[in-house]
Amino acid sequence: MRVIAVVLAIVFFVLGILYGTGTINYFTESGAAHSHHVKHLVVMWVLALLCLIWARFQSAPRR
Amino acid sequence: MTFFQALVLALLQGVSELFPISSLGHTILVPALLHWNNIDRSSASFLAFVVVLHLGTALALIVFYRAQWYAIVRALARSIVLGRLSSDPDERTGWLLVVATIPVGLLGVVLEHPVRRLFGSPAPAALFLLINGLIMFAGEALRRLQARAQARKSKPIDRLSYPESLFIGIAQALALLPGISRSGSSMVAGLLCDLDHEHAARFSFLLATPVILAAGLLEVPKLFAPQAHLELVQAIAGGIAAGIAAYFSVAFLTRYFRSNDLRPFGWYCIIVGSICFVLARKGVIT
Repeated sequence: MRVIAVVLAIVFFVLGILYGTGTINYFTESGAAHSHHVKHLVVMWVLALLCLIWARFQSAPRR
Repeated sequence: MTFFQALVLALLQGVSELFPISSLGHTILVPALLHWNNIDRSSASFLAFVVVLHLGTALALIVFYRAQWYAIVRALARSIVLGRLSSDPDERTGWLLVVATIPVGLLGVVLEHPVRRLFGSPAPAALFLLINGLIMFAGEALRRLQARAQARKSKPIDRLSYPESLFIGIAQALALLPGISRSGSSMVAGLLCDLDHEHAARFSFLLATPVILAAGLLEVPKLFAPQAHLELVQAIAGGIAAGIAAYFSVAFLTRYFRSNDLRPFGWYCIIVGSICFVLARKGVIT
């Protein structure tokens, strides 16, 4: 589970960068290429962060 | 947009964002009913104005629930640092809110603009307002049936399961449709998960806070768009008015739902939605 969470975090992080640089434009307002989709970048990075937190829960020592 | 119009829209936003009557539906229907044709809802300056109203509303919610938010954020931080879940009710509530926020975050980013393009006119907004009323009646009826058939008692927020929390979050995402209320749909979902009205309302308002705040913060760049031409005094007055209206709305509603249900709002949505739908179909409002 921990590995899946980390892989997902990396995927979301990279997707965020691709949205931010305008390399991909799926589900965006204009659908226009090469524009910066800040909203999508932030959402992807928040998801990446949540995946990292999930990974943290998997790796912490149990009491 | 005149100063008076800005003030009316701000008060409308502050009240209708929290009352289960759909703020998006009302910000489409009321200007149409009043024939405020000078307001271009797609203009950069109007969108910037809406950002300020959202920030004002979110701030009011944070101030109202400040003690609870402080406890939730502290508990969440402690949980992340320790890397484990405990039985602390604030921590549990925090994680339930995180889980419930994911659907609206994802669906909002993917569907917001296509949905607005398809349904952002008075006739669909009126129809969805009518449906919103029916959802509230259906929710109340199902809740009573559930309670009677299975003799289930109401539970507090922190006894919700994560799938139930996800269900409430998905219900909240229905509010992307103009006319469907965010607080109404999430309250109905909460009632179906055995929360009582008071707790369903509280969870709905807590859940609304990050969503409204994010909706405002993520659109902040629109404030500085070259075409925005935001009138500073108008925007500040609007933000304050929306915040005050939201604060008093949440104060009223938390008391109201201690001993009342959603049906009066259901009647309101059905009546207003029906009238506006007929007017829109006849071309009286466009």
